[in-house]
Amino acid sequence: MKLSFQWISDYVDLHDLTPETLADKLTGAGLEVEAITPRNQGVSGVVVGEVVACEPHPNADRLRVCQVNVGDGPLRTIVCGAPNVAVGQKVPTALPGAKLPGGSIGVAKLRGIESYGMLCSAKEIGLETKLLPKEQTEGLYVLPADAPVGADIVEYLGLDDVVLEIGLTPNRSDCLSIRGFAYEIAALLDRPTTFPEDVSPETSGASPVQVRIDTPLCQRYEAQAFTGVRTGPSPLWMQMRLMAMGIRPISLPVDITNYVMLEWGQPLHAFDLDEAHEHTIVVRQGRSDETLVTLDGESRELTEDTIVIADPDRAIGIAGVMGGQNSEITAQTKAVVLESAAFDAISVRKTGQRLGLRSEAQQRFEKGIDPQAVTGAIVRATQLFRDLAGAEAWGGVVRATFHDAYAQPTGTVVEFSPERCNRLLGTQHSEETMRDVFRRLGFTVESTEGQVWRVHVPPRRPDISLEADLVEEVGRLAGYDRIPTTLPVGPVTVGARNASQTLRKRTRDVLMSCGMSEVVTYALTHPSDLDKLRVSPDSPYRQMIPLLHPMSEERVALRTHLLPSLAQVAAFNMAHGVDGGAIFEIGRVYWPTKLPLEEQPCERTQWAGLWFGETEPGIGERARPYDFYDAKGVVETWLQALGWQDEVRFAPVQLSWLHPGRSAEVVLNGQRIGSIGELHPETGAAFDLHRAVYAEFDLDVLVSFLQTSWKVHRMPKFPASRRDLAVLVTKDVPVQALLDTAREVAACDEESILEDCRIFDIYTGKGIADGYKSVAVAFRYRADDRTLTDDEVVRVEQRILDAWTKKYGAVLRTN
Amino acid sequence: MNVVDIESTLQTLRHKAFEELRSLQDVRALDDWRVQYLGKKSELTQISRQMGALSPEERPVVGEKVNEARGALQRAYEEMQAELAQRELNRRFAEETIDVTVPGRRHARGSMHPLTQIIQEIEEVFLGMGYEVVEGPEIETDEYNFEKLNLPKHHPARDMQDTFYLTETLLLRTQTSPMQVRTMERMRPHVPVKVIVPGKVYRRDEDDATHSHMFHQIEGLVVDEGVRMSDLKGTLEHFARAIFGANQSVRLRPSFFPFTEPSAELDIRCTNCGGSGCRMCKGTGWLEILGCGMVHPKVLDGAGYDSRRYSGFAFGMGPERIAMLKYGIEDIRLLYQNDLRLLRQFNRVL
Ligand SMILES: [Zn+2]
Repeated sequence: MKLSFQWISDYVDLHDLTPETLADKLTGAGLEVEAITPRNQGVSGVVVGEVVACEPHPNADRLRVCQVNVGDGPLRTIVCGAPNVAVGQKVPTALPGAKLPGGSIGVAKLRGIESYGMLCSAKEIGLETKLLPKEQTEGLYVLPADAPVGADIVEYLGLDDVVLEIGLTPNRSDCLSIRGFAYEIAALLDRPTTFPEDVSPETSGASPVQVRIDTPLCQRYEAQAFTGVRTGPSPLWMQMRLMAMGIRPISLPVDITNYVMLEWGQPLHAFDLDEAHEHTIVVRQGRSDETLVTLDGESRELTEDTIVIADPDRAIGIAGVMGGQNSEITAQTKAVVLESAAFDAISVRKTGQRLGLRSEAQQRFEKGIDPQAVTGAIVRATQLFRDLAGAEAWGGVVRATFHDAYAQPTGTVVEFSPERCNRLLGTQHSEETMRDVFRRLGFTVESTEGQVWRVHVPPRRPDISLEADLVEEVGRLAGYDRIPTTLPVGPVTVGARNASQTLRKRTRDVLMSCGMSEVVTYALTHPSDLDKLRVSPDSPYRQMIPLLHPMSEERVALRTHLLPSLAQVAAFNMAHGVDGGAIFEIGRVYWPTKLPLEEQPCERTQWAGLWFGETEPGIGERARPYDFYDAKGVVETWLQALGWQDEVRFAPVQLSWLHPGRSAEVVLNGQRIGSIGELHPETGAAFDLHRAVYAEFDLDVLVSFLQTSWKVHRMPKFPASRRDLAVLVTKDVPVQALLDTAREVAACDEESILEDCRIFDIYTGKGIADGYKSVAVAFRYRADDRTLTDDEVVRVEQRILDAWTKKYGAVLRTN
Repeated sequence: MNVVDIESTLQTLRHKAFEELRSLQDVRALDDWRVQYLGKKSELTQISRQMGALSPEERPVVGEKVNEARGALQRAYEEMQAELAQRELNRRFAEETIDVTVPGRRHARGSMHPLTQIIQEIEEVFLGMGYEVVEGPEIETDEYNFEKLNLPKHHPARDMQDTFYLTETLLLRTQTSPMQVRTMERMRPHVPVKVIVPGKVYRRDEDDATHSHMFHQIEGLVVDEGVRMSDLKGTLEHFARAIFGANQSVRLRPSFFPFTEPSAELDIRCTNCGGSGCRMCKGTGWLEILGCGMVHPKVLDGAGYDSRRYSGFAFGMGPERIAMLKYGIEDIRLLYQNDLRLLRQFNRVL
């Protein structure tokens, strides 16, 4: 909402305030001033000049040499290039020494002739050209014929004004008007409003108009008929005020309705009375298959929800949204009817949304108008039609209400306890202070003696209906800075994270300590990502929840998989000169139980990691591509940190987005918790990645495995016996199988003496037959109660070897 | 052999031995020298043996001379031995000297995303004040996201938040505030309710330097008997000081949210100019940091807490804005671009 400092000054005394001080007060009261813009963009020394002669320039085709009367002194010779310059015009004339937003003006020689100033266009004197009709923006800005020659243009156009741009919160519909703001500012400054008294003009005879309201969606409807309405432009002062408020001047009748709307917050609509058959206006709801061509030439469908202005035969306007073309005022119009009404906010909003329209008038209806302004505005407009447009009121105002109760708007009564007010704010405002706040706001207070006051709120403040609303008014006007700082006094509570949050925090800490960088990506993606993952058409991953109205083409549905997001981050980084990296995200995927969606879907929390490009080498090391085992190492470190290392198994798996020979599922206590593998080359290529390793884990499954406590192992009392074995097996034997077999064999004994076994070398190449590998395993044997003898150890070792041979054809390497 | 001869021999011997000793370069040569001059077959030993041929008067005199010579050689030997050891050590040190400016073997530390970092930091502040951290669904119902928050259908305040709808009734939550209602419904009639709710929210906004269609919020809610707006102010002042520095001060400015009444915006002293006014704070010296207020009586009553008996406060803040202010990030999109050249800067512990 824009606010003209000049205009508001008509209704509250602001002589001792600068616009900046007013802005501070408004912002401090919750009406946030977002910008302060002087209307005068730096114009001085420009006066109204009259072109009294205009000759072609002897040396230039496009230039004219004009003689301009500027009131005092001789005529000024001014060279002008504007094509529309003509004798008799009054135009803004910048004299030598004048300042314009574009620079200063001096005496200049143009093609041999000295020019004593410049004739100006609208743009040159800093007017908002986008609010002016095209003919006024091309060439000189031609002033009305009655413009006083020699007058200062800033004063004449009222440009010595400042406009405050205010970000209104939706509750303050009362401030969508100058008068509403005047009440607010008067309350803030504790000054009276200085509204002129609007008197209904004298009228003769009865109004020809009949009004009937057939729908509860219209509370009140008032109509005033006129004859002899002059059209043409509105006076310049009115145009300038409209422009200050961001409204485009159009023509006298339209400008008057807009002017009154800005002043009163009440939208008005004027239309051709004779187009309303039988001079009868019917306000009703639309009918199915009813249409109306609106002022913009579009054919609009009317529905049951639409409030329609009609005559007995047909629709002639959509209430609060747009008039009908069939009742538009034209040059042939003999009688005009002016409408001022209260339409249902929700209905107008729905209609506007349905038709994709959003006018100033509509916005005011949507936010709720002051029922008292319906009458005030039509009286004010009637005055202006009479004074400015030479119109004659044809009869008085015709008023109709849907229900008798609407005849006199009364406002509301809200109960208010000063004690509760202080208790809610934590303040110690006196009753005196509170009474004073209500007085300034123009609320009347009944029975200030008792515990509970009855506060009468006028209908112009529909935002106030509860005690809490009044408490805010007290807090606001007494000043939020008077609220002290305290802390809640309730019982002690213990802050806590839940298991899922704890698991995520620990996971993040471990992954970071493994050198991974956390990323945060958008949850909205595109289904084509799944093609890159090579998932089948009937895969559940294809069940992405779509947005009804996406904002962009790329982000249309909720992701079911984290890989595309991470792959895109990797590709972005590779394209920006990053050699490689290890990234992870802890985020949600969205799995619907059914599409189209009927209930809130399952939102699963996962962590996913991607290792892409090359490792960062230390001194003397060489960069190499991240591989499966880099990723697996991180995963194992994470599993170990959470105490799951011993229960976890990796097993080959087939997933469409992973390399079939280099991917594993990760199983914890028989349940799959995630997977890890090199990207399938086609998936990698689809994301512009040469090679990368991906891992993902379902944290929702893992929450149930989270350990809350654990105990240390006792320190051993007897020494361990360490032995190594190297065996040859075929390449396809998983080393994990050898370790598992060794543990199983040792576990057969009553007392297992195998404390630990681990792989320490895997070798292929020279000296090893094709298709075979040498696997070296380190064993550690120990007993709780004695030092083991060689015999004991060798016996177990031999049984392990036998089992390996039997199961996997292992051959002991002896050299 | 007479005393004079022996003395002169000893003299010569000492002279020769010292000269030789001085030229020695290593421990082995020193050893040879010791054998030669102090060993069993040394000249000195031979002289000792010849002492039997001297008279009883001469014998002690010569013996003393010999011992003196032996002592002198022995001391010289030990000194040389120490010196050589020192020289040897020095040589080793010289050999073993490394370039300490060569970078060490580091473990890449990894980095936490700035948003997570800010969210965690804020969580810690409120955990310390006894708040529970709760989370909720990102896919919400119209009922919880709007209606139960005093935002009925077709209310103009819904324009403040353009919404991604999934169906007529399901949507991507535009705020973490629905968790106010869900939390109260879960906990009623228990008090105090003290939670913060971090999470992702969505708005149908065009992405630009200051808008993102997905962003984060941290909601806070306290409900109890006798909760005051001054408690809200005090709590948020504590928060502002924990996050932005101990000398921060806050101010409340009236505002509007459908689910709080009275409502306010919280400003902190400009982190850039400290309050004197600059471009970042538009000359006001204050920065808007969050929206807050007293829980609207309709929301309290709707969630099962009688507003005549209980009151509460709520606040909602944007970690993006806080991260941008704190780290001087000027474009919100940078937080979602995940450029490792930016993210890796967050490998530090604050
Ligand atoms: Zn500043």
